Amino acid sequence: MSARFSPFDRKKIFYGIILAVVSVYIFKLFQMQILAHAQFDAKSSDNSIKAIEQIALRGVFYDRNLQLLVENTPAYTVRITPADYDTTLNRKIETVLDLESGFISNMLYKNRVYSKFIPLRAKRGSDFSAIAWIEENKEHLPGVDYVIEMQRGYPDSVMGAHVFGYSKEISPQQLKKEEQYYQPGDLIGSIGLEKKYEKDLRGEKGYDYILVDSRRREVGKYKNGLNDVPSQKGKDLVLSLDGELQRIAEVELNGRAGAVVAIEPATGEVMVLASSPQFDLNQFSYVTPRDYLRQLLNDPLKPQYNRATMSAHPPGSTFKLLCAIAALDLGVITPSTTLFCGGSFNYGRSFKCHGSHGSLNVIQAIEKSCNVFFYQLIFKIGLDNLKSYATRFGFGKKLGIDINEEMRGLIPNSAYYEKIYGKNWPQGILVSLGIGQGEINVTPLQLANYCALIANNGKSFVPHLVKGYLDENKKFHSYKYKQVNVGIKQSVFDVVKEGMFLVVNGAGTATHVRINDIQIAGKTGTAQNPHGKDHALFVAFAPYGNPKIAVAVLVENVGFGATWAAPIAKKIIETYVRRSMPKKTEHVEKNKIEVQQGAEIFAD
Amino acid sequence: MRINYELNDRFDLTIFLSASLLVIIGLFAIYSSTQNTITQKGNFDKQLISWGISLFVFFFIFALPTKLLKLTAVPAYVLSILLLLVVLVIGRRIGGARSWIALGGFSFQPAEFAKLATILFLSHFLSRSETDLDNLKDIFIALAIGMTPIALIMLEPDLGSSFVFIGVILALLFWKGISLFGLAVVLSPGIVAVASLFGPIYFAVAIGLVIVILFYFKKDIILSGSILALNIASGFFVDNIYNILSPHQQRRIQTFIDPNADPLGSGYNAIQAKVAIGSGGFFGKGFLHGNQTQLQFIPEQWTDFIFCVIGEEFGFIGSIFVIILFLILFLRILRLASFAKNEFLSLVIIGILAVFFVHFLVNIGMAIGILPVIGIPLPFVSYGGSSLLINMALLGIILNIYRSSKEST
Repeated sequence: MSARFSPFDRKKIFYGIILAVVSVYIFKLFQMQILAHAQFDAKSSDNSIKAIEQIALRGVFYDRNLQLLVENTPAYTVRITPADYDTTLNRKIETVLDLESGFISNMLYKNRVYSKFIPLRAKRGSDFSAIAWIEENKEHLPGVDYVIEMQRGYPDSVMGAHVFGYSKEISPQQLKKEEQYYQPGDLIGSIGLEKKYEKDLRGEKGYDYILVDSRRREVGKYKNGLNDVPSQKGKDLVLSLDGELQRIAEVELNGRAGAVVAIEPATGEVMVLASSPQFDLNQFSYVTPRDYLRQLLNDPLKPQYNRATMSAHPPGSTFKLLCAIAALDLGVITPSTTLFCGGSFNYGRSFKCHGSHGSLNVIQAIEKSCNVFFYQLIFKIGLDNLKSYATRFGFGKKLGIDINEEMRGLIPNSAYYEKIYGKNWPQGILVSLGIGQGEINVTPLQLANYCALIANNGKSFVPHLVKGYLDENKKFHSYKYKQVNVGIKQSVFDVVKEGMFLVVNGAGTATHVRINDIQIAGKTGTAQNPHGKDHALFVAFAPYGNPKIAVAVLVENVGFGATWAAPIAKKIIETYVRRSMPKKTEHVEKNKIEVQQGAEIFAD
Repeated sequence: MRINYELNDRFDLTIFLSASLLVIIGLFAIYSSTQNTITQKGNFDKQLISWGISLFVFFFIFALPTKLLKLTAVPAYVLSILLLLVVLVIGRRIGGARSWIALGGFSFQPAEFAKLATILFLSHFLSRSETDLDNLKDIFIALAIGMTPIALIMLEPDLGSSFVFIGVILALLFWKGISLFGLAVVLSPGIVAVASLFGPIYFAVAIGLVIVILFYFKKDIILSGSILALNIASGFFVDNIYNILSPHQQRRIQTFIDPNADPLGSGYNAIQAKVAIGSGGFFGKGFLHGNQTQLQFIPEQWTDFIFCVIGEEFGFIGSIFVIILFLILFLRILRLASFAKNEFLSLVIIGILAVFFVHFLVNIGMAIGILPVIGIPLPFVSYGGSSLLINMALLGIILNIYRSSKEST
């Protein structure tokens, strides 16, 4: 037997340990709270270290040629710290800052749940005269101060409101979800790219360590700022947008309601995404004036609505290309199959064509946009087959572009009609579907994506607005996007593209946009509008032999697509193709990054 | 059957009231430290609800037949090991450690449950008539029972809970009557490991000490040699274990070895905690008037640093009151350990006492700057539903054993 403690001793040892620990702790507390109290109290009330958050500089936006589209500019923000503030100053400050009466008390009330030591932003982007006034009357304005903060600036004449989007002060609901990073009063992306890329753009907050007294007044920097953590600027995004083309689209759409989308077929890069009417992002870079908001909300054309990705209209005759692809791919017709057009088609009632075209094959039917040909075709294809092809080309679903504002549109199938009209739904409904009218809705983005897929023979990438970002050394890093392949024979594309070529260069519906040295292929469309004049549509790509750009144009309430939409597409195509044609050397330097990234995309 | 015995014959009111007072003080401190925050404002209400549920569980466990404790020992242990494995795979990562399992809207830490299960199983093993702690094999079996959950918890990694287990194992072995030699065998690798953290010289001194002890007990050469080897190995392996720890825990240990290494990182909390308590003075700054607390100088004050709120706002009086309540609780529980009907129940009480005591020791020790900053809550006081629930359940077991001991006499 070894040496051991008796049960009685064991209990005594336990008593001993407990009493020893408690005694040491009581002694230590006595020493801290009574003997050394004065020292600790002095530290607590005079010299506490507090970490002050430094908001990081938000990443900026460049276009595909590294032209600056969205930047940061300094502005004054006037703040109120509720703990120190005297509410009798409300009237005076509201007058100086040009705020509505009652704004401050409302702001204090809304933020009452937060610590009263956190300063609230009364006004971002204040006039310098107001800052001068605060500086002069500092002593009489407890709890009022100002800081310089960055706000968004838009140096270029590109509007891009729907693409860029804007940030807003974070709401209490968002704050609950995102508690690790944000503080009340922080800005957070609200729509568009500012929202989608919030995490990339915001960077990392920094911290300055300062010495504060018990009333949280700054006494000085802790260790002269030796331990400060600098904030890290957010990533500078390189958009796939082309500033010049975007501006042209915006100018052309000015005064009308409509949208233009242009995509690089090989990469899925969106070069133009314009929606009209626009709104002024400069008004959103700080607290938005109520008058401006009211004006936006009351405008019957709803300027904040992104028509390029959210407005769904019937595709009209542009949809005939899809019918042709489906019929050829299914083998229900061959390129040489001819159908007869006598000017109208009878199915329960008479459906009109805009001419009497006689016997024509599919290429001629696309060229002339013959309705009767496609009225007949739809019955050969079948509704559910049509829906399946439409889905492969991105209709009736969200494409997954990198902004959240996107609509899926509608492509009906037989289940859809059964739900509405019952089991024996009238087949006559199908007739108009063949020419893209009736219960079928697509967005301009979907049309552009569809045209890009045709141009690039069924292969492309998910359409996207951001190519990548520049790091602090201005080195470019690309983002990866999903590849798309509709899986349709090359011969089918050849036939349909020939038809599109003849639309512009033969005896088709858009010969007026023909250019001698650039071969454009396109298709016009007119979306029937029960509420007013029809919407004009045009999809096109160019150059015919080696497509570099695919465009979709929508102009609302103007009539025929050929007249209104096609010239806008022509202008964009001409500018883009011509720019890269003559003086190649000038662009080599600028496009270097682009080429590298292109190579990476093709590699995977 | 006797019916007319006094309330205190079946129910130890002293223990129950001490714990209840601690919960109430905790509620005040939680309210004070969260009322000014954005995201934690609801903690007071949540803790109040948790207390209600915990009381229900407490009385439920109190009323159960005592023999259930022994019956559930093995299944509970197996289940707890399984849960510890599961949490490593599907656990939610909170504050650097993967230690929470979420079930629906409800989440809990398997380590909390494992504390109870390990106490039951280890007590069960030690109280068997054939267990002999003079036999090194039995000591190693006991250590294996205790070290398995520790190993799994270190993988999460959760340093604080591991300490609690070590405390429980030592307390149970000691209470069972381990010999001084056995105690030396169990303790020495730990001491060597800690010493080696401070540097090679400390390591050498510790090994030298082990050699002296081995000479003193004059065991045979093979046994002595293997124990020495074990000690040297533990000194070298501590590096590996140190590397398992999350970076913030490593930093905390470094900060403890050299407190001024990082005054704004992990040292910051320790300094601000001391300033909060020290500036409280004799009477404290008053409820809701502690500026360290209200200005949120110390993060997560409602959990691990709750003692700072008490120290700052209720002063020396308040701090001492809390410590005295714990002292009453500990001494009272220790007294019960001698009254238990059998050795198993006595060991269970000691194990639970060890859980409470290690939490108390580490939590207050770190708040007043005696121990390194290791995240571990103060029982009954800190905010946290699952922690309060398990502590009240443990208290329920103690009073259950107390009740059964009274019924049989």
